[in-house]
Amino acid sequence: MNTHLLGFILIPIIMAFVVYAIGRKSKEIRNVMAVATTLAVFLASFYFFAGFFFGKMSPFELRLPDICGLKFHLMMDGFRALYITIASFMWLVCTAFAVEYNRIYHNRNRYYLFILWTLGATMGVFLSADLGTTFIFFEMASLTSYVWVAQQESKEALRAAETYLAVAVIGGLVMLMGLLMLNNITGTLEIDELRGVCEGLMGDKKLLAAGMCIFWGFAAKAGAFPVHIWLPKAHPVAPAPASALLSGMLTKVGVFGVLVVSSQIFFGDATWGKFVLIVGTITMFLGAFLAVLSTDMKRTLACSSVSQIGFILIGVSMQCLLGEENALAVRGTLLYMVNHSLFKLVLFLVAGVVFMNLHKLDFNIIKGFGRNKKILKYIYLCAALGIAGVPFFSGYVSKTLVHEAMVEYMNLSPASYNPGIKLVEWLFLISGGMTLAYMTKLYVVVFVEKNADEALQAKYDGMKPYMNMGNRILLAFSATIFVVLGVLPNWLFDRVADMGQSFMGLTEFEETVHYFSWENLQGSLTSIIFGVCIYFGVVRSVLRKKDGTYINPWPAKLDLEDSFYRPLLKVVAIILEIFSKIFDKLVDWTVILLRKSLLKESPIPFELTEGNALTYKVGSLLDGLKAMFTGEEEKYEGSFKHRLAMMYEKADEMSVIVTRSLSFGLIFFCLGLVFTIVYMLWFR
Amino acid sequence: MTEAFILIPVVLPVVAGLILEIMRKLNKKIMNISVAAVLAIEAVLVFINIGKIGTEVKLFELTANLPIYFKVDNLGIMFALLMVIIWLLAGIFSFEYMKHEDNERRYQGFYLMVLGVLIGLDFAGNLVTFYMFYEMMTLTAFPLVIHTGKKEATMAGLKYLYYSLGGAYFALFGFYFVFKYADSLTFTAGGVGINAAGHETLLLVCALFMIIGFGVKAGMFPLHAWLTSAHPVAPAPASAVLSGIIVKTGILGTIRVIYYIFGTEFIRGTFVQTVWMSLALLTVLMGSTMAFKEKLLKKRLAYSTVSQISYIMFGLSLLNENAFEGSLLHVLMHGFTKCGLFLAAGAIIYKTGKTKVDELRGIGKEMPIVIWCFTLLSITLIGIPPTGGLVSKWYLCMGALKSGIAVFDILGPVILIVSALLTAGYLLPITIQGFFPGDDYDYTKLENKEPAKTMTIPLIILTAGAIGVGLFSTPIISYIETILATF
Repeated sequence: MNTHLLGFILIPIIMAFVVYAIGRKSKEIRNVMAVATTLAVFLASFYFFAGFFFGKMSPFELRLPDICGLKFHLMMDGFRALYITIASFMWLVCTAFAVEYNRIYHNRNRYYLFILWTLGATMGVFLSADLGTTFIFFEMASLTSYVWVAQQESKEALRAAETYLAVAVIGGLVMLMGLLMLNNITGTLEIDELRGVCEGLMGDKKLLAAGMCIFWGFAAKAGAFPVHIWLPKAHPVAPAPASALLSGMLTKVGVFGVLVVSSQIFFGDATWGKFVLIVGTITMFLGAFLAVLSTDMKRTLACSSVSQIGFILIGVSMQCLLGEENALAVRGTLLYMVNHSLFKLVLFLVAGVVFMNLHKLDFNIIKGFGRNKKILKYIYLCAALGIAGVPFFSGYVSKTLVHEAMVEYMNLSPASYNPGIKLVEWLFLISGGMTLAYMTKLYVVVFVEKNADEALQAKYDGMKPYMNMGNRILLAFSATIFVVLGVLPNWLFDRVADMGQSFMGLTEFEETVHYFSWENLQGSLTSIIFGVCIYFGVVRSVLRKKDGTYINPWPAKLDLEDSFYRPLLKVVAIILEIFSKIFDKLVDWTVILLRKSLLKESPIPFELTEGNALTYKVGSLLDGLKAMFTGEEEKYEGSFKHRLAMMYEKADEMSVIVTRSLSFGLIFFCLGLVFTIVYMLWFR
Repeated sequence: MTEAFILIPVVLPVVAGLILEIMRKLNKKIMNISVAAVLAIEAVLVFINIGKIGTEVKLFELTANLPIYFKVDNLGIMFALLMVIIWLLAGIFSFEYMKHEDNERRYQGFYLMVLGVLIGLDFAGNLVTFYMFYEMMTLTAFPLVIHTGKKEATMAGLKYLYYSLGGAYFALFGFYFVFKYADSLTFTAGGVGINAAGHETLLLVCALFMIIGFGVKAGMFPLHAWLTSAHPVAPAPASAVLSGIIVKTGILGTIRVIYYIFGTEFIRGTFVQTVWMSLALLTVLMGSTMAFKEKLLKKRLAYSTVSQISYIMFGLSLLNENAFEGSLLHVLMHGFTKCGLFLAAGAIIYKTGKTKVDELRGIGKEMPIVIWCFTLLSITLIGIPPTGGLVSKWYLCMGALKSGIAVFDILGPVILIVSALLTAGYLLPITIQGFFPGDDYDYTKLENKEPAKTMTIPLIILTAGAIGVGLFSTPIISYIETILATF
């Protein structure tokens, strides 16, 4: 039994309670305990990472009794070791950073409780080997991370958190539907078995429907268009370390699921690949576009996350489209995920440093904050150049691999050549350029330009210390990783890719990629040229006014959430309500209707002196009608009521006379009959 | 006559309740302790009855072939266990809660009597006995509904009575014909064998009438309206058992009639099944939507019951194994959850007097334990893992998908999931505004309003139960499979 795998999940969850309890007594000890917990998880993860990195370990699994009627099945392999290491590393950095950062907030105990819970849940997602298990932990992570977004409790924060929760719950339920259908079709949710089972079902409509449900459930967390709406809302209001985790890690939780769907269920399915490609392209381009326009530091980073997820989705789609030849795409996607996690960690924490000191993120206010802060500049630059895919930084490696995969796909199928793929490639390069443009924009704003308000600028320049020593070292260390990875891709990155690729079904990869060959550099350089053009052509000339203030020309009305989703939900709710109300009240209303009509209590509570109820009612009706036409009321003697009653009584008397006379007649008839009979019997 | 011992749990609470009604001068403390003692002994007795599965007792015969007859079976024991556990917890909760109501003695007396009747219902071995206890339950629960004595409560009580009796007559109609055409009325797993040749339509209509009739107690459309009037006006612990337990008797009745009298094969694929499924799904959606729009907390929970019980009804209507397992799991899960939610609502009302959902801002800061329980119970009811709601929903949906009944195999899960979404919509906002009152919330006015331990501990146990049903569902599922194995 490999029960120690359970420790990755349980230790953070249990420690969350301990940390919470301690926090009520002492804040210092709590902070230390929280960091110690994440450190312990990180070290344990790193042990497995090292084991797989040096090829000393082989995959192993842990099966436990079902929980919630779903299989509980965990597994450790290269990919999982890699990802739990990155996750726990991020948690470690963010928890350590939060010690200084969170001083600005209330309710910090709550924050730690939920941060550690989510760590346990995230570990559970990455270690899961059965989609049922994945689902359980995925939902836990979704719900517990809600608190991060709502932490500030400002109006915007609560609204953003509402959006986050709605997306999480709806996404979760849609996924549940998908899992149910998948389980019904395949009879299994084991990740490793799905590819084999689904191969024979290619093109099955039900399988496609199930896959779609699961895909959108995960994509909502990953931030794919059009369900990315929570990202740009949630990130600016969450505490910076939480934003870093949301963007760097929780989106990857979604990507994890997307990977399973695409590389296991729909492996080699061209239709599916194209679908993911389209979603990815829109996400990539739209995110980058919004990021260029944005004038809020964290919003820029959030939109950037959306865009980067688009890049990753393109990588995923290439895996699908290339089928057995997907080595480059697999490795590219994997490294892209790793890179993006780490970039966003560093970038959001830089934003955190700004927010921690200024409590603002608006470009026009924070402008000039970092002018004389060399370390911060270095940290930011490493991450920014990395994410923009500039050669000799780590982002370049993954971007090149994904790009190469696209080129390979174009070369592979010249017969079925589709001009669309060329367009996607151009959009890919342009989006890469936009990445550079918005990162440059951010750099220029924070670190180069002077603030319009000179007194403020002087205050910014004099701010010391703007972050403590520990955080400086932590961030600088994290940032340096990008350079090391970028300069020595074959030494480190290739081996990381080697250890992770089996998750997506790739077993061997023999060739060596020459990352710095001219062919590979070309793509990157094209992107950089685009970036420079966009920066000077759009950002400097259109988005920046003459006096140096930045504007966001994007109309506020054009917000997918406010102008589409929320109204849509409202309309649906109203329709449902009307429908339900009718059925809910059906019987009650019927009863009321009956009581008001047929079963009405008698309106004549008094005894009638003449006639009966019918004559009274008909008479009243006729009287009323007559009064309506003639306009005057008849006296009682002349009224229909009276006349009808008289008629009734007359008829009554008549009938009495008739019946009596009839009965007399009958009696005599009978007597006659009797006499006749007696006579006949007697005198015969 | 040792078999008759199985009837002790039926007799004991009824007798205790009657004694309580007679005792004029009784110290409140002594009364509470003795009520708790009776409830605890009752629980033990029912647990002992687990070992007596299969025991049967024939008391006397009404007329020829109509015996009053009891039998302990797996299904009955399951319901009985749920009932005594929840009755005990809600009973303990009520000691503190009823302090702010008059006539505690009357309340506790009837509270005990209903339990006895319910246990009799669970152990009833044939349709006559079942029907008798069913009517008795309607009548003994009536005082619980009208307890507060306000006009609103009385009107709701009358509505409850009319609907219940109406429903019972629906069932009675079917009962006559079943008596005529069936070999016996003894509950037999898989059906008693009905000589339907030539009268199929008539008997199918009877089956439908009986489903609708028992569906009244279960709050199934079209005769569900009493539930949302009667449950909210009762005192909170009474609402808790009304909503958590008494509605389940309708479910038990339906199971007994369809699975133990008619037999599932009799109605499979007929119009009865289609109508039944449609009514159940309609109720699910309608209940959730109405709850979503409702502003009064207890009424919202009552609407939620309407929708949740029809989950069970839908599962039963599918007539397959997975769905049946899901239904019974949902019986347990919903019993714990809804009882807990009503008790939490009761604690809020008791401590703050707030009844509307909008007034609950910051409530989580004032009574953290109660709202934590409320939150976890909400998550259970929505069906978010790792809680019990997911398991039952999973099985119900699997059953629907596997049944392969056109349209309903997809429509069913979709409606259940939409309803789960609405459930999230009507429960989570309470938690959210309770724990996240906003940055302008005045923390200086904050005072601790956590209720007494006799209130919080039952709540915590119920919460643990609701989550436990989910986490450790495997043994429960295998138990349900033993019930299924008898069919």
